[in-house]
Parts: sequence; C-alpha cells; structure tokens
Amino acid sequence: MSQQPLAPAALDDAASQRSQVASDAVGAVIEAPRPGQTIEAVHLDPTRSAVRHELPEDVELALALNNVSVFYGAFQAVDRISLQIPRNRVTALIGPSGCGKSTLLRCLNRMNDLIPSARVEGHIRFGELDLLSPKIDAVDVRRRIGMVFQKPNPFPKSIYENVAFGARINGYSGDMDRLVEDALRRAALWDEVRDDLGKSGLALSGGQQQRLCIARAIAVQPEVILMDEPASALDPVATLKIEDLMRELAEDYTIVVVTHNMQQAGRVSDFTAFLLAGEERTGRLVEFGPTTEIFTNPTDPRTEDYITGRYG
Amino acid sequence: MSFTTRGTAPAFRPRLALRRLFSSTFLLGCFIAICVGVVLLGALVIEVVVDGGSVPFAPPSAASLPDGMGWLAWAFPIAVLTPFLLPRLAHRRSELAPPAFAALCVLSALPAAIFGHLIYVGFEDAYYVKTGGHIFDLLSEATAWQTFRIVLVGLLLPGGLLAVAWRGARRLRSPSLVWPAVILAAWGFYLFLEPGFLSSPPSQSPDRIGIFPALVGTLYMMTITAAAAFPLGIGAAIYLEEYARRNWFSRFIQVNIANLAGVPSIVYGLLGLQLFVRVLEFDRSVLAGALTMALLVMPIIIVSAQESLRAVPPSMREAAYAVGATRWQVIRHHVLPYAFGGMLTGNILAMSRAIGETAPLIAMGALTFIAFLPDTPTDDFTVLPIQIFNWVTRPQSAFHEVAASTILILLLILLLMNSAAIIMRHRSRTEW
Repeated sequence: MSQQPLAPAALDDAASQRSQVASDAVGAVIEAPRPGQTIEAVHLDPTRSAVRHELPEDVELALALNNVSVFYGAFQAVDRISLQIPRNRVTALIGPSGCGKSTLLRCLNRMNDLIPSARVEGHIRFGELDLLSPKIDAVDVRRRIGMVFQKPNPFPKSIYENVAFGARINGYSGDMDRLVEDALRRAALWDEVRDDLGKSGLALSGGQQQRLCIARAIAVQPEVILMDEPASALDPVATLKIEDLMRELAEDYTIVVVTHNMQQAGRVSDFTAFLLAGEERTGRLVEFGPTTEIFTNPTDPRTEDYITGRYG
Repeated sequence: MSFTTRGTAPAFRPRLALRRLFSSTFLLGCFIAICVGVVLLGALVIEVVVDGGSVPFAPPSAASLPDGMGWLAWAFPIAVLTPFLLPRLAHRRSELAPPAFAALCVLSALPAAIFGHLIYVGFEDAYYVKTGGHIFDLLSEATAWQTFRIVLVGLLLPGGLLAVAWRGARRLRSPSLVWPAVILAAWGFYLFLEPGFLSSPPSQSPDRIGIFPALVGTLYMMTITAAAAFPLGIGAAIYLEEYARRNWFSRFIQVNIANLAGVPSIVYGLLGLQLFVRVLEFDRSVLAGALTMALLVMPIIIVSAQESLRAVPPSMREAAYAVGATRWQVIRHHVLPYAFGGMLTGNILAMSRAIGETAPLIAMGALTFIAFLPDTPTDDFTVLPIQIFNWVTRPQSAFHEVAASTILILLLILLLMNSAAIIMRHRSRTEW
C-alpha cells in the first residue's frame, strides 16, 4: 500500500475502499451483524502463538525485542513479546484498549523505570546495547529514543524554551537559534510560530501543541521517536497534519506509534504489530508484519476479526 | 494561559485535606474570615482588655499625619478605592483605549479625593482651612520627616493609581479589591496610632511608649527563621517526595513530621532552651529564638511543600524525562518552578504562625524589657507578642491600652502576610 498522505476529502473514500478490501478478503463468511443480532465466535483467545510475517530483505533493524514481559507488582501487563522494529520506517502497535500497547512502547525508552512497581524482563537490542540491562543509563536511552505523548504536554514555558530545553540539558553547544528553527521546521510548525517564539507553549492550539512536542523530541536528535496515540486528543485536520508529519519524519527517524485507530495505522505505518489481551488483561503479540499484509491478508483469525471490525 | 483549564490535575491522586485547604474559594473564605476576625478581635480587645474602652474608635484622628495634611485621612481611602470601583461601575466592555481609560480612572479619582476632603472638613476643621494656608506653604515649613511623608504620598499615590488603573484597563476587567482593602486597613491602623508609636522604644511612661525594638526584633527573628527553615524544609520535602524510596522508613519519617506539626509550642521552647541557649550557648539571643522558631515551623513547611510537589502534573515530569533529563534536571527546571507558588504560600503561612508564637520564647527566657535594638544575632531581643504579654501583665490600665494597640499592629502584620500568601497562591495558578 502506498503511504502518500491523503487529502481530507479522500479519507472517507480510502477508508471505505480499505474496508471493502478487508471484507473481500474475508469473503462471504462474515456478514455485517444486523441490529439485535448477537455477534458470536469472534476469535479472542490470546494464548495462541503469534504469527510473524517475513520482513522484506532491504530493511535494517532499529530495535529488536526478545521475550519482553512487563509486570506491575504481581500483575503481568505484557507477556513475552518478540518483534523487530525496522529502521527509518513507521511501525504501528495496534490492538484493543488495555492490551499493553502503551506499556510495551514505554519499555523502549525505559519510561517504565519511573513507575516504582514496574519490572521489565527480556531483552531489547538497540544497536550494540541491551536496553534493559541495568548497566545502561536510562537518561541516555531517553535522549536517543524520544517520546511524544497522548495528550500534548508542552512545558509551561515559551515555545523557544520548549524546543531548546532538551538540547540545553544535554549539553548542546551549537547555534541554539538554528536548532530551534530546524526542529520547528521539521515539525511543520515554524511558519505558524516564527513571529512569537516567546509566547507560551500552552497558548497554542491542541494540534500545534502536539507538533511542538514533536519538535521538542526532534531537537535532541534522537534515533527513534516513540508516539503514544499522538493524535487521539486532536481533531481530524490536526490528526492529518500529525500523520503527514510522521511520514516525513520516517525518512530520518525510526517511528513507533501506538494507536487504536486502525485507519490511522493503515495510513501511516509500514509495519504493524497486533496485540491482544485476554480476561486477565495480559497483552500478547498476535501478528506482526508489513501493514499491507496485516490489513489485506491477515493470517491469524484473531487479527482478521479485529481488522474487519467484529470487535474492538 | 492557565494550567487549571487544561485539566492537568492528576486524577488518581487522592485529594488530601491540605490540598483542599489551599483551594482558592476556601482561601477567599479564609481571607474574609480573617478580616471579620480582626475587627471582632479589635472590638474584643477594646471591650475586655481595656477597661472602659478609651481607645478612640471613630472618627479617626489625624494626629499621626503631618500638620495640615489631616484631610488625607479621608481623601486617601477614597482615592485608592475609586480606580478599583470605577471599572466595576463603568465597565469592562469599555471602547476606550487602555491609556485613555487609565487616565479617566485617575482623573475621576481627583474629584473623589476633593469630595472626600470636603466631607472631612465638615467633620473637623482642616488645619489649612483654619489658617488660610496652602499645601505649598506647608512644604516650606515642614520638618524633614514631614516633607518625606508628603513627598512619599505625593509620588506613590498617583503612581500607584496609574499603575493599577492601567493594569485594570489592559486586562479589560476589574482589578482585584484585595490590595486596596489591605492598603486601607493599613491606613486605618496608621491613623489610630499616636505619632512615634512605631518608632519609639518602650518606656516607663505610657505617653511616650513605642514598640520600635519589638517590631525590629520580630522582623530580625523572622528573617533568620526563614533563612534557616526554608532551605531545610523545602530540601526535606524534595527528598521525601522525589528521591526517598517508598518503604517503612520513609513512611515512619512522614508520620513523625505530621505529628511534629501538632506538638505544643512550649515543648519546642524547652527544646530550644536546652539545645540552643544552654548546650550551644547562644544565650537568650535572636539566633536562639529564631532557630527554635525554625524547628517549630519546619513540619508545616515540609508538609505544604510536599503537597505542592505532589500537585505537579505527572505529564510534565514525563515530558522532561522523555527528552533525556536527569531526575535533578526535571526537578530543577520543571517541578520546582511549578510548585514554587504553593511552596511560598506554605512558607508564608508558617511564618505567620511563627510571628505570633509566644510560649517558646518565654520558655527560653526572652521575656525582658528591651529599650534598644539588637545589633547582632547574638544580642538580647524582644518581639511583639512578648511585648504585649509584658504590658498586659502590668497593673496600670494605660499599659493595657498600649497593649491593645500593639495587638492590632500584630494582627495587621499577620493579615498582610496571609493576604500575600493568598495573592501568590492565586498568581501561581493563573500565570506561568
């Protein structure tokens, strides 16, 4: 599937086409449930082993997760997930609420360290490093693997300071004005704020705030940018801008995005991982592969049910 | 832009009692209650402490003003209130440009002041009307101190009015009435005072009596108390809230701090007597008193600082961590600036507790007749509450009147400090 950004008018069309494709793939077996009809026999069992599609030959890996489990005290939030995140591509983590997507994402830059009861097992390879090793400095990991959060959370400081802060505390000694301008340009925000960089970051609109947060993440020159439902608090137009931005940023950065908007995953991502949690709310990987294959030709029946909208 | 409108308050934090205590509505209620309390207490003091109530209650005498400036007693309050009230009456949807609006406010204050003056003349013949003199004649005849006061009023009053009116006009909303209320309260108290009451030492004769050493002693002690208690208290709060692991030991400390806040102040006095006065041999000095007070208010400072640290939204910490900030950088650049207003409020409230504490100082032996100022921190000293205690225990009723006036001064200082706390609290919420 080509990943060119879509104009807003084309969105509905594209979505309907895709669902058309999806239901074609399922064939006549699934019919749209009539009102009052109970849906039965959706495939929900999360304990079955995961399906991993072959990755294309030409991708390099940015991160490799090996049997990553996350515990909050006695509760296990994520169970032995293994997947590879290709460099300079957009990888989407999808799945219903509470399936451990965000938890998994927060492992990748050791954000879970901030929660006293959290414990992460397994290995995450990042270049030569094992991110989960206690010898690794979490602060350095977070500089190299940036993050954008669900709710825009600019610092209550000026726009300039928002962008410059990360670089400054990491000892950046170059031309700060240029760095700020460059980061804001890359985040497609420069033209809107160039004349009032001294204004509070909180004075911007929601979508602008989120792009400011992206600029803030870019300014420390990370290798990977993690996005935790970056558009879920935004309106459709702002969402579209963020999605465009993700496609552009993927040329230089590895992007991992959590979303429970399937259309969004279809629009922006190159690869998709589908996670699912059972009754005990422990998230497991169901299927991982190129987005086109996951959306048009899912191998696992659980993925198929989710993609076709039978639940979730 | 305010934080509160973004709804960043953490939903999962339990709403602790102290946090509720700081809600602005509650504080406003407190402010009003304090104002009412001051009036009631003043009346009570006059009724009970002073037999027969010989403290003048109304109308205020202008004895403490320079000769011929008596009309200011009425003109000043009216001039202060007008620019605050005018935007309320004339209003926020004004089409006027801010400078014009500000000018209007100030201009309208002038006739109000003259009107006030005329009212006053009706009450009591103004000096300069009686003598046919003019305000400029006054300046040439005035003493240096009078000139200073006239110039002060002459410069500060129009300047302050202009600033207030400008700000009100800029924001196109009525400025808060808190400051004029505070200024007027201070002015009213000032008018009650005999000349020199604030600037003379105590004396055996109630006519020439003053509270200067006690006032200076209070300010001196408060400065050292603040210097000792703020860094320690805030440091302890940061440690407990940001660094300490949540285990039995930190919980133990936490419970102890909460309990220490409730220990009677006389116990702190005895601790100070043994530790600072005897073991460390500070004697009954300002330093010993200030350190005892610092111990007394430290739990309050710690608990309130912890509350304000807890109120920092987690999303802001996460944002800072996510760009590779260390824990200290997060605290230094984001948590502390955000929590600063709340911490300052807690500190001021703690100080206003310390300023009125008498028991620890009496226990330390600081109850003395002091007719001079403390020069160094190791000198003997006295403070307002002790001075009050001293005078109230005397049999002559003249001293009781003086004590009543001193009580009013002390309450006024408390009122000013608490208003400052409320205003800072409010400001830290609405601005960044």
